[in-house]
Amino acid sequence: MAKRITVDPITRIEGHLGVTVEVENGKVKDAWSSGTMARGFEALLQGRDPRDAPYVTSRFCGVCYSVHQMASVRALDDAFGAKVPWGGTLLRNLAMGAEFIYDHILHFYHLTALDYLDIMAVAAYNGKDKGLNAVKEKVVGLVKSKDTFPLTPRYEPDEFSVRDPDMVITAVKHYIDALAMQAKARNMGAIFGGRQPHYQSLVVGGCTQYPDVNMVAKFRTMLDEQAKFVNEIYIPDVLAFGTGPLFPLAKMGLGGGHYNYLSYGAFELDKNGKQWVFPAGVITGLNPGKIKVKSFDPDKITESVKYGWYKDDKPRHPYEGEQVFDLDKKDAYSFVKAPRYKGRPMEVGPLARMLVAKNPDVLGLIKKGAKPGVVARHAARAIETKLLVDACYRWCDELLTEMTKPGFKIHDTAHYEPPEKGEGAGFYEAPRGALGHWIKIKDKKIANYQAVVPSTWNASPRCEKKYRGQYEESLIGAPVPDVDNPINVVRIIRSFDPCLACAVHLIDPQSNEIKRFAVE
Amino acid sequence: MNELLGDISRRDFMKYCAGAAAVLGLSELELFEKVSEALASSSTKPPVVWLEGQDCAGCTVSLAGALNPPASALILDKLSIRYHETIMAASGYVAEAAYEETVRAGGYVLCVEGSIPIADDRFCMIAGRPFRRTVEEAAKNAAAIIAVGACAAYGGIPAAGPTGAVGVGKVVKNKPIIHLPTCPVHCDHLVGSILYFLATGTAPPLDKVGRPKMYFGETIHDNCRRRSYFDNEMFLTDWNDPEQKNWCLYEKGCKGPDTYADCAVRRWNDGQNYCVDCGAGCMGCAEPEFYSGMSPLYTADSKRSRDIMARKKAGLIPPLKEEA
Repeated sequence: MAKRITVDPITRIEGHLGVTVEVENGKVKDAWSSGTMARGFEALLQGRDPRDAPYVTSRFCGVCYSVHQMASVRALDDAFGAKVPWGGTLLRNLAMGAEFIYDHILHFYHLTALDYLDIMAVAAYNGKDKGLNAVKEKVVGLVKSKDTFPLTPRYEPDEFSVRDPDMVITAVKHYIDALAMQAKARNMGAIFGGRQPHYQSLVVGGCTQYPDVNMVAKFRTMLDEQAKFVNEIYIPDVLAFGTGPLFPLAKMGLGGGHYNYLSYGAFELDKNGKQWVFPAGVITGLNPGKIKVKSFDPDKITESVKYGWYKDDKPRHPYEGEQVFDLDKKDAYSFVKAPRYKGRPMEVGPLARMLVAKNPDVLGLIKKGAKPGVVARHAARAIETKLLVDACYRWCDELLTEMTKPGFKIHDTAHYEPPEKGEGAGFYEAPRGALGHWIKIKDKKIANYQAVVPSTWNASPRCEKKYRGQYEESLIGAPVPDVDNPINVVRIIRSFDPCLACAVHLIDPQSNEIKRFAVE
Repeated sequence: MNELLGDISRRDFMKYCAGAAAVLGLSELELFEKVSEALASSSTKPPVVWLEGQDCAGCTVSLAGALNPPASALILDKLSIRYHETIMAASGYVAEAAYEETVRAGGYVLCVEGSIPIADDRFCMIAGRPFRRTVEEAAKNAAAIIAVGACAAYGGIPAAGPTGAVGVGKVVKNKPIIHLPTCPVHCDHLVGSILYFLATGTAPPLDKVGRPKMYFGETIHDNCRRRSYFDNEMFLTDWNDPEQKNWCLYEKGCKGPDTYADCAVRRWNDGQNYCVDCGAGCMGCAEPEFYSGMSPLYTADSKRSRDIMARKKAGLIPPLKEEA
C-alpha cells in the first residue's frame, strides 16, 4: 500500500519548499515539489527605471544575490547596447568568483553535510589531536547540557550515514572552520562588490569600484587562504566521503533524475568571449561513455504554468512570459513555473556544468563507478570551486596589468542612460545552475521583466507533457525504508543546493476572493 | 577550546558595548561586566526562534558573516537556536515539533526575517500555515522581538509588489519591536542588539520609527568621506575618471543625506568596504520609505534626489564647518 508523506519545510535551503513523496515497498514511487512563497518581484519592477533591476533582483536571493545582479546587468548591457570594458569584466569576474567560492563552501559544510553524518559518533573519538578533542568536548558538552540545538533534532542516521569517529569529528571541525572561511570569502568579494550580501557596485556597462593596487593585493592575499582551504580541506573531504563511506550511494546513483543537462556558460577568460571557465551547452540523455554536447540556443526555452498557481496559458518564451496569478486552480501545486528546453526538463548546476565541460576529474569519478546523482553533484561542486580559485588568480594578474595601461576603463559611460525602447537577455551561471534574465524596455521604463532561475529548472512541477521536474524525477526509486525518517529525500533535494525564493513568480492578483487551501 | 571556536572575547564585547554604553550612560567597562555576568550566570542558553517569511535569507547570510564575534560562537556557544529554517538540522515534522515546544515554553528572542503578505495569506505558507498567523502566535510568548532587515522592519522591497507585504509592526501590536532595517541587516546591529537585550533585559533606546539610536542616530551623509565634494557640488559623472573617484555620488543617485545609519563609520564585511565607498552610493535601505520612496536608485532622476538638491540650495543641508 502506497503511503504519502510530506516534508515541509525542507530546511537548510534558501527559500520555502515542501516536497511530497509517495512511498511503496520502501521506495519512492512518485513525487511533487512545491514552492510555497511568492513576493511578486517581476510585477513591482514594471514601470521602473531599468537600472533598478540589478539591485532589486539581487534580492531574489540572499545566498546567490550577486549572480542575479550579474544576469540582470548583462540583460541591461544587451538592451542598452553597452560594451563592458575588459577592466569592468575583470572586476565583475572577481566579485562573482568570490561568490561561488563562498556559496559552495557554505552549501557543502553548513547546508548539506549534516545529512551524511552520525554526529554523535564524535563521542567515540579516542585520538590525541588537540583541535579534535576540543570539538569532542564541545559536542559532548552540548549533549550533557541537554541543549544540542540546532544540531538536533534531526532525521535519524541510516545505513549510509558516516559513523567512523575520526571522519565525523574531522568533518565537524571543518564545519566550524568553514563558517569563518565562507565569511572571509564574502569579505573578499566585498572588495570589488562594495558589500555583501547584495553587492552594490554592479551596474549596466561595468562596475563602479575603481580599483587600486592595494585592493588587488588584498584580494590576492585573501584568495591564498581560500585556495589553501579548498585544496587541502574541501576537495579532500568530498573525495574521502564520496569514494569512501558514501560510495554505495554513488554507485546506486541516488538522485539521478532525467540525465538531461544544461549550462548557459559563465566567466569569460578572454575579451572575445571564446573561452569560458564554464562553457555553454546541452546534453540530452547522458551517455557517460560518449558525452555529446550540443550548442545552447536561447530560443528553445519555454515555461509552462500548467501545474503552477497561475492562470492557464500555453508554454511561452520568457520574453513573452506573463503569468496571472490563480490561487484556486485545480491540480496546481506550486508557485514555481516549469521551464523546459525543447520541451524537456533539464538539470542545471555544478554537475551539468562539469559534464558539459567534459571535466576530466568528474568523468574520472563516473568511470570509477559513481553514477551521476547526489554524490557526483557534491564532487562536481568541489571541483569547480577549485577551477574558480585558479581563475581568480589569473584575473588578479590581468587586472594589475590592465590598470597600468593608459585609458584604463571599468565602465561604458556612453551607454548609461536607458534607451527609449529595447529588449535584452542576460545569461549567466549561478552556483546552483543556469540563470537567465529577460527585460523589455518601453519609454525608458521596464515594460516586462522575467527571470528563469536555476531552482525553477530543478524544482519545477510537471508540464503539459506530464514530465516531472528534475527534483521530482530524481526522487523516484529512492530508498525510504522508514516513512517517518525520509532522510534520502532531503539528501537528494539538498544535493541540488535549492534556492527557492527566486523561483517563484507572480504578476498581479486578479481575484480578491480568498479560499483556504492546505499544502498537504 | 576558545582558541578553536573563537569564543566571544573581551575585546569583541568592548567593541559591541561601546555604542550601547553611551546610550545607557554607563561606562563601557560597567556594561561589559554586566553582559559578561548575564551570560555567565545563566546556566541555560537563551532560546532563539528565527522565522523567515517573504525573505531572501540575505539577513541570515549576513549574520553568518559575523567574525567578531564569530557566527560559530553565537550559534553553538551563546544562543540556543531552536528554530531557523536555513541552519537547523531538522526538516518537516521534526522541525515543526521543535518550534511548537519552544513557543509553548515562551521566553525566547523572536527574530523575524522577511515581510508578511497581508493581501492574501497564501503568498507565504510554511508547513501549511500562513506565515502571518505564525508570526502572531510566536510573538505572544516572546521575551523580545527583533524585526531583522528592511523587509521585516517596514516591508522593504516586497512592499512595492502586489502581495501586500508589511513589516512585523503591522501584524504584531502592543509589543515593543526592535527594528533593524538595512538590506540586508548589518551583522553588528543584530549581534549588538541581542547582546544588549541579554545584558539589560530591555530593548535598546529606539528612535521614532523603532530603530536603536546607537546604530541609526546619524545620517550616512553626516559621516561621509565624500561630504566636502557634496558641499562644493563636485559630483562624480564618470566612473572611469580617477580624478573623480572620491567625488560625491549625488548624480549617481546617492540618498545618504536622507538615510539614518552608521554604515559610513562601521562599514561592512569586517570593514572591507561599503556602498558609498565602492562608488555606487547609498540607496536608503535603512529608511521606512525604502524601496519605493528611494526609486529610481542609480540616478538623481527621482523625487527624493530633487528634494535633496532643493534642500541643499535652501541651506537646509549645511556644509561642514571648517575646524578652527
